[in-house]
Amino acid sequence: MRRFPRSFGFEKFSGVYLWAAFIAVFSVLSPNLFATSVTLHSVAAGKAVSAILALAIVVPLVCGVYDLSVGANINFTTIVVVKLLTKGWSIPAAVVIGLLVGAAIGVVNGFIVVKLKVNSFITTLGTASIISAFQVIVTDNRQPLPPTLPAWRSFTTTKVFGFQIIVLYMLVIALLLWWALNHTPFGRYLYAIGGSPEAARLSGVKVDKYTWLSLIVSGGLCGIAGVFYGSIAGPSLSFGGSLLLPAFAAVFLGSTQITPGRFNVWGSVLAIYVLATGVKGLQLLTDVQWLDPMFSGVALVAAVAIANGRQRSGDERRRKKLSAERNNLPDPQPSMS
Amino acid sequence: MIDVLLSALDVRALSKTFVGGRALDEVSLRLKPGEIHALLGENGSGKSTLIKVLSGYHRPDPGAEIQIAGEQLQLGDSASSFQLGARFVHQDLGLVETSSVLDNLAVVVGFPTRFGTINRRKARQRALAALAEVHLEVDPNILVSTLSPAQKTSVAVARALQPVGGGAARLLVLDEPTARLPEQEVELLLSLVRNVAQKGIAVLYVTHRLDEVFDIAETATVLRDGKKVFEGTVASLTRESLLQHLFGTSLEKGGAAVVIAPTTNPALRVRGLGSESLANVSFDVHPGEIVGVAGITGSGRDALCATLFGARSRDLGEVRINDQPVPAGRPTSAMELGAAYVPAERKIQGAFLELTARENISIGDLKSFWRLPILRRRSETSAAQTWFDRFEIRPSTGIDRLVSTFSGGNQQKIVFGKWFQRQPTLFMLDEPTQGVDVGAKGELHRCLADAARQGAAILMSSSDTDELTSTCSRVIVLRSGAVVAELVGADINPHAIARASLGIGTHENAEHQVVQNQDLVHQNDRQQSHMHTDVLSDGVLQELIQNVAVREEEQHPS
Repeated sequence: MRRFPRSFGFEKFSGVYLWAAFIAVFSVLSPNLFATSVTLHSVAAGKAVSAILALAIVVPLVCGVYDLSVGANINFTTIVVVKLLTKGWSIPAAVVIGLLVGAAIGVVNGFIVVKLKVNSFITTLGTASIISAFQVIVTDNRQPLPPTLPAWRSFTTTKVFGFQIIVLYMLVIALLLWWALNHTPFGRYLYAIGGSPEAARLSGVKVDKYTWLSLIVSGGLCGIAGVFYGSIAGPSLSFGGSLLLPAFAAVFLGSTQITPGRFNVWGSVLAIYVLATGVKGLQLLTDVQWLDPMFSGVALVAAVAIANGRQRSGDERRRKKLSAERNNLPDPQPSMS
Repeated sequence: MIDVLLSALDVRALSKTFVGGRALDEVSLRLKPGEIHALLGENGSGKSTLIKVLSGYHRPDPGAEIQIAGEQLQLGDSASSFQLGARFVHQDLGLVETSSVLDNLAVVVGFPTRFGTINRRKARQRALAALAEVHLEVDPNILVSTLSPAQKTSVAVARALQPVGGGAARLLVLDEPTARLPEQEVELLLSLVRNVAQKGIAVLYVTHRLDEVFDIAETATVLRDGKKVFEGTVASLTRESLLQHLFGTSLEKGGAAVVIAPTTNPALRVRGLGSESLANVSFDVHPGEIVGVAGITGSGRDALCATLFGARSRDLGEVRINDQPVPAGRPTSAMELGAAYVPAERKIQGAFLELTARENISIGDLKSFWRLPILRRRSETSAAQTWFDRFEIRPSTGIDRLVSTFSGGNQQKIVFGKWFQRQPTLFMLDEPTQGVDVGAKGELHRCLADAARQGAAILMSSSDTDELTSTCSRVIVLRSGAVVAELVGADINPHAIARASLGIGTHENAEHQVVQNQDLVHQNDRQQSHMHTDVLSDGVLQELIQNVAVREEEQHPS
């Protein structure tokens, strides 16, 4: 019996337990560095953009579409917004433009996936490269200077209950997406399409429309995340690519949480912070540089392995049950042959 | 008596027992070299088990003895079967469509190489030689996907007959080779089979098409319930006697069919419908009617409902639902006009296995649960519970369980719930009760009958002639994509449906039929418990093997 007792919600909330374990262990091992409010706030704010990016991945993934262009998208919108600000645009105008640029990338992705019927993986791999080409065109490969407006930085760093406000932004976005995915027809349709596009089409779901929409939402979220990143960290030419894999890892890890078997909002956010806590704790204990990519890579593969294993053991349980019924056995036992 | 050594295949005392029961019971079979022997039997009669024993896939019960070309087959050893010269071409040919003919031929025998590089010229020569064996003149370099269905079968046969490691083919088993072939290509395939036989290779030919038996086979064996019920020359058979052997004497009459006079405008009006699988199909379905669609696989039966609903594309003709024209290929439009469609492929097209039952049931009708700002979980739950109660879906408290955790029959009921929730005025159903146990089947039929009584029109395509017989007030029969018969009232019986489906003329007198029918009514129960009697009407072994396996599994809902 390798099954965990379900009454403790281990299956659904194993991430929370893991998180608690991380916090407990690191607090003991490095009480002066780890168990501080500074660490808390820096992890919370530092991973908010990653969390939003993970949510940008979740939305299309729910309907079975990969968006690998999120990294390039967020990077590009950051650059665009910063450039506009340095040219004297107002912050609200720059934010709206950032959102629109991100969404426009989603529109193009959607067009290629829905109308040209190109596999989403290939599509977004390609558009990611195209976006980075545009980034070079816009920047000439020279990192733009960060905007000097004080309001630009405080846009994300104002303190609310001790946390930087970007954490609040992220939670609001997560709340909105949770509502959209779990409590509106839009979300239902996405999950249905992700379950079986053909069954969805034959149930009257406008598969093309919602698939396209999911990519636009994804693009728009990248735009917003790009704006936040520009504000909190300043422009950089290459941060987007390094955020992509950790975000994917969190999304897949998140799909084993809260509602196991489904890509979901809170699971993804939880996974981002569990991973970040682990990385942070280890970084405070050692000074090795390879922790972040190692953690993300292991998490991605482990998450998918866990999900597959769960699927297989479920299938096997069902098979055993049928077998027991067929052979009139009292208890599920392995069948003879 | 033929000398044993002269037999290409000699099977004696072959039994095979599965957990669920006995699939083969003391069967014997003997083929001479060069003989074409038809192996016949209704679905679940044991044909496929027999073939799998020959191929070494199944190990038979102790006591069986099988010799191929005089040599003892190591039972349950597929290498031995191959080495002795037994070759198999299954209905699914197993060709790689995107590879060339040459590559498809070479994967079995290996590529000739020189210094590790493929010797193209030699490979080509080999391929041409193999193709010449089956009189197929195609360039070995063209892709398999560009060949016609009959040509593909020829390639599969050529591949099977290639000499491997010196072992020549002695016995060719063809499993329903014509099931997926268009009418005009069947002749090509039959001549191929004759050619093979002329080389001295014994051919065991599995088919459901009776015409072919008389066309091509010299001898035949008929299995029923795992027992051999006939063995002899085809010359000694008539169509009538062959049908008797296949079905037993069980050609029962139609059950509860009620003829309802068309009173109103048709709910579904089809005129001149044409597509790659349908030709000039026209018919009406009126409110209150349950109209059945019958035909063998490839007749267009399995395409009709999908084409009308828009799941498949249509090229010609007009479809009107409740007097409104339906645009081609637009399921949403058909739904808006009141149509519902239950596809045959439940796991891919019908249900969302990884969503909960509740989400499956509400997906087509979400607007009625949506009150800004959220989907009303409570009314959604109570709607789902309504259909759980009405269809007696088990477990009855399982509305929040994933559909994949339900048994097949219950999954199908959930699919029905999804559509009933929308209160459609026209149901189009493909194989509506596949994988559903007998009790649930009756329940679904009752619900459909209720819906019809309340004014819904129902079009039901099924390979299960019993189902059509017991539920439909009218049955249209398709052959080669066209409507070839329309049966009403007492004409709706498996016998008549089978005849029309296969294109066998009805020249027997009415009196004979009546007597036969009366004799056979009592057979009904036995048949029902036997699940599946669509044999002739559908005639696809593969479908059958799968269906029977699946159905057996799903007979026991949790």
